[in-house]
Amino acid sequence: MEALEQLNYPGELSPLRDRMIAELEDVNTLCATYRSRIYRYALLSLKDPDLAETVTQDCFLKAFKARKDFRGDCSIATWLTRIATNLIRDCTRSRKFQFWKTAGSTALEAGDIADRLRSPGISPENSLVVREELVKVWDAVDALPDKQRSVFVLRFVEEMELPEIATAMGLHVGTIKSHLHRGLAAVRKAMEKTR
Amino acid sequence: MNTNHLSAWEQEEYILDERTPQMLRHLSECAECRAAVARLEDGLGVYRKAAVEWSAESLAARPQQLLIARKQPLLSLRWAMAAIIPLVLLLIALLPFRASSPRPVQQAAQVRDDSRDDALLDQVDEQISAAVPSSMESLTHLVSTGDRATAKGSKHLVQNN
Repeated sequence: MEALEQLNYPGELSPLRDRMIAELEDVNTLCATYRSRIYRYALLSLKDPDLAETVTQDCFLKAFKARKDFRGDCSIATWLTRIATNLIRDCTRSRKFQFWKTAGSTALEAGDIADRLRSPGISPENSLVVREELVKVWDAVDALPDKQRSVFVLRFVEEMELPEIATAMGLHVGTIKSHLHRGLAAVRKAMEKTR
Repeated sequence: MNTNHLSAWEQEEYILDERTPQMLRHLSECAECRAAVARLEDGLGVYRKAAVEWSAESLAARPQQLLIARKQPLLSLRWAMAAIIPLVLLLIALLPFRASSPRPVQQAAQVRDDSRDDALLDQVDEQISAAVPSSMESLTHLVSTGDRATAKGSKHLVQNN
């Protein structure tokens, strides 16, 4: 319940909030709408499909249980992302996760991801270049600290705005920007190695 | 040619949609900075594409109804508890009543057993209370006050023998 305890948004109740709560009531529609997004975020943060699925399910269950506490100050997507962020953080702090991370058993090789990337209409030479570039970026993002990686994923994969990321992560916009600059610097540095 | 290229920070600011008019003007004039920004954007685009594809592939292998399937045991457990608890309470409430009111047939059988036990105990008590066991009772009548002479005669007979 730690994730929910931190969901205190200032603001007033509104008809918009009631509409959002009505949306939260229909858990099946909610899952159908946001499941892929939350799962993707969890998967890129944890690099473990089973754990990502567990976090996704817990996220929806917690959201459903706490739907009355939702103040409507942000979008449902942002609210769900915040719950998922807290769940992911709890997960990464667990000793079990730390053990498997150290053992490297859950880590997916960047090469595997690059092999799966579909590039229709690209010549084999260009495809190879794209593959090499992806491996560099993927490894650079993987090497980022957990919080920086989460911010990076929310910005460049989920394409969220900076204030939304700040709400979802419980951080200031300035801190988010700082994390993003560091992440981009790491990616740039990795890409320069290919030259 | 403009030699004041965009710094790494400025290029990152551009990527983060924090664009100033000077930045835009420079990029429109400088092919080198344009290429650098485009290269970084391409790298991020490829990363996004790969992440989305990998996630979609992974998610496709998992059934959608997992959440509902996980919820069902919780709900059914609640219903089971709701059904069981009143039954248990009812049984607990009925237990003293059942113990205090045994059936009449059982009661009669109990009285019969008790009377049989009493009779047996009386019989045993009578046997234990007797001075001489019943098997030796006939011997107590062999010697009497009128038969002393006969008894002495018989004693002499034994001595003579």
